[in-house]
Amino acid sequence: METIKKIFILLGSLDRRIIFFIVGLSVLIPLLKPEWVNLPIRPTPESQIVFDEINNLNEGDKVLLSFEYGPSTKPEIHPMAIAILKHLYAKNIQVYGFALWPDGNFMSTEAFSEVSVEFDKKYGIDYVNLGFKPGQEAVITGIASDIRTLYTVDLKGTPINDIPMMKDVVNIEDFDFVFSLSAGFPGSKEWVQYACDPKNIPLSTGCTSIQVTDIMPYVENNQIRGILAGMPGAAEYESLVETELQKMKITATPGKATGMMAAQSIAHVVIVLFIIFGNITYFITRKKKRKG
Amino acid sequence: MFFKRQIPLLIVIGVGLLTLFGRFINNEAVRGFVSNDATQWFDIIASFAIFLGALNMLKLQLIKIIKKQKNWQYSILAVGGFAFAIFAGFFYRGANYITISDIQEGELTSVSGIIAEELNESNPFNIETKLLDSKDAYEIDKIFMTEGNAKIFMEKLTPYVDTITLNSKPWGAHVQTKGSLFYWMFINTITPLGATMFALLAFFVASASYRAFRIRNFEATLLLVAGIILMLGRVPIGNLIPWWVVSIMVMFGIGAIAAPFIKKRKVLLGIVGGGIIIFIIAGTLMGWNQTPPAFLSIPIIQDWIFAFPAMAGSRALMIGIALGIVATSFRIIIGLDKSVLGG
Amino acid sequence: MNNKVIMWSMLFLILLGLYILGEGIIFVEGIRVKFAAILLVSITIYYYIDRARSGEEIYLRTIPGLKALEEAVGRATEMGKSVLFVPGISDLDQVETITGLNILGHVAEHTAKYEASLNVPVSKSIVMEAGRDICKESYLKSGRPDLYSDDMVHYISDEQFAYAAGVNGIMEREKPAACFYLGKFYAESLILAETGNSIGAIQIAGTGSMAQIPFFVTACDYTLIGEEFFTASAYLSKKPELLGSIKGQDIVKLMVMATMILTVVLNGLFQAGWISFDILSYL
Repeated sequence: METIKKIFILLGSLDRRIIFFIVGLSVLIPLLKPEWVNLPIRPTPESQIVFDEINNLNEGDKVLLSFEYGPSTKPEIHPMAIAILKHLYAKNIQVYGFALWPDGNFMSTEAFSEVSVEFDKKYGIDYVNLGFKPGQEAVITGIASDIRTLYTVDLKGTPINDIPMMKDVVNIEDFDFVFSLSAGFPGSKEWVQYACDPKNIPLSTGCTSIQVTDIMPYVENNQIRGILAGMPGAAEYESLVETELQKMKITATPGKATGMMAAQSIAHVVIVLFIIFGNITYFITRKKKRKG
Repeated sequence: MFFKRQIPLLIVIGVGLLTLFGRFINNEAVRGFVSNDATQWFDIIASFAIFLGALNMLKLQLIKIIKKQKNWQYSILAVGGFAFAIFAGFFYRGANYITISDIQEGELTSVSGIIAEELNESNPFNIETKLLDSKDAYEIDKIFMTEGNAKIFMEKLTPYVDTITLNSKPWGAHVQTKGSLFYWMFINTITPLGATMFALLAFFVASASYRAFRIRNFEATLLLVAGIILMLGRVPIGNLIPWWVVSIMVMFGIGAIAAPFIKKRKVLLGIVGGGIIIFIIAGTLMGWNQTPPAFLSIPIIQDWIFAFPAMAGSRALMIGIALGIVATSFRIIIGLDKSVLGG
Repeated sequence: MNNKVIMWSMLFLILLGLYILGEGIIFVEGIRVKFAAILLVSITIYYYIDRARSGEEIYLRTIPGLKALEEAVGRATEMGKSVLFVPGISDLDQVETITGLNILGHVAEHTAKYEASLNVPVSKSIVMEAGRDICKESYLKSGRPDLYSDDMVHYISDEQFAYAAGVNGIMEREKPAACFYLGKFYAESLILAETGNSIGAIQIAGTGSMAQIPFFVTACDYTLIGEEFFTASAYLSKKPELLGSIKGQDIVKLMVMATMILTVVLNGLFQAGWISFDILSYL
């Protein structure tokens, strides 16, 4: 009994470097060997709503895809961007890329180039990337009133009036759907406040896990239709899209978020175990102090 | 004093009141200023102000290097990184591309093969199709960081193509162009560094939870239990936790709540242990092994915690914070709180 | 009911009446509820400011985090170490940054008084300039302008994690005894707080970023939650007008709670078909 108590006391008072090392291993091993851990992905109702909203769009519809994330949140949100693009391209929906963050330009360039080649989509006809403009909420209000007051050229420097798919697009009311890939400010909340809610344009979002509590009130009020919450949300959406692509007999490279969920799962279990050990140690040492 | 105190105060009050009540005025010019111009003015000022910060940072780092203060070697990295970013953004485009036209007769396959090899494309037929479809000059879909590399590639095509030109992406667009020097710097240094710093959070969450989540009182216990359920419920592994494990956790929870009221430890142990056994037997008899109930599923409990208690708490906090912002802004707008002006 | 309440109520009704009369001509149509709300909030806060100016005693409960400010600076002085103040990573257009800089003024007064060294790394250039003005003024007020130096407030980087890395480096190298995180934060909050914890510093945090509050609560000794952070400048300065505005803010919160309860009850009655008035369409 005393030996067991000593082991628990040791486990509950570890140096934080050992904790870091064990957490590091718990993330690294599943990433290197994903086949060792095969976990089923269960789509949440919120992810299902996002999927259904996009799935109910028709061929030729216009979707505004806004990139509001940077390199630090890329592992969480970029897989969502890829999955969304695959879904939109598979349904032959026209995609209009915007960015409210300067880093969003790089993220959008990477996402478009990765998926457009795979689905053989043509720039200017199937998708266009208008890029970043400074101004935060002012950019959103500009897009809501008249895109051409803000954008005269696209990201490559081509005048937007020379781009075929920009012909009938004046403002946000010409879009059938808006999707915001958001990691902070400005992001989904600003799209709700300044454009989508006033103009009644359906909006969905994919965001980092930490932002979910901030955005959930809008989801509850149906101002945002569904939410992809962090990497689990990305993995759930990937699994839904992959099932849909199989039904449509389209082959595409599998997404990365699903493989990363094993790592996240193991890491969470390790953290929970450390919390439990810490509490056991706390009780044992408290009891000893009382006796002493 | 008049310029340092009174004039800034007048500007704060004037612009503040205009922005606050401007949305209610039925005048396009006023509403346009409030919605668009005011924020853009701030962005313009902030953009010019970047020079102040950059110069300050450079000054401090250079002083460290010149005076060889402690860890001055790291300052060389800071200054070097700064200089490289300025060079790649403002002085060196590094976004060269080649356009070809007037391909010699019978050489289409050779040209598409050379281009396919350069682009690492397995099927040169795709390139051939694009060459045939292009009406004017065909832009080869590769960006060369240096003119030298571009010219080496041009020499391979010159025997088969009559018109071949080397171009550069326009200034500004070169920053976003995949393959340019700035883009290379962003993807290969800034992105991994940013992701690394963000990844530190995982380790710090582990050490913070390990240290802070202790069953000290009722609220701390509630925080601990909610935290564990949320951590397990958010990931796929939560689906694998069977109903009887959750029922054991529920019984332990009941035991923890009842503990202050039951002095005799053996009685408490009996209640918790007996409760677990009864729960598991009853559940097995009710067929919960095949169809477990929703209230004993970690992901569903997690969804409930997210949708109700967490949401209620966060909404209350949001309202409080919003009111705090309103009151602070009001004090600043009416000129009551002058501390931000330096006094 | 005293004369001032009647006077302010009349003013509210007159201004609202003018707005309704001018709707469509001078004023925008369809947003009178918003206008009424802003007017009511402004008048309520100003009424209590006015009452405080007239000499009314305003009671504020103790906020441990703000009480501990001076203690933390004192601790740093005793240990011969510096004080680190992080005013967040947002620009001066955010109210949290302004509030953080207000508190910086008070912290700078203490560091001037106790002759402790102050380090304020910032993420935005405008915040750097504003911070310098505030610190200079505080040191002058404390009678120690000789201790002030412009390099106290210095710029690191606009980029979120580059800034976090820079501040972490300062903490690891200089090992300040007191760390203050008061402003708008995002994901870097836990990185800063955990590093501060690892060097054994006393940490006081406050932010309006709701998602970051739990991280600060876990890792810091004192956390200003929600409106506690925004009351800081009033609490520390003890100026009657500012304290009055805090009371006004609390009364507005009571009004919001009453409106919520009323809305729930009226909407419930409407849903049950007992009344025909739909309050939600009106709001």
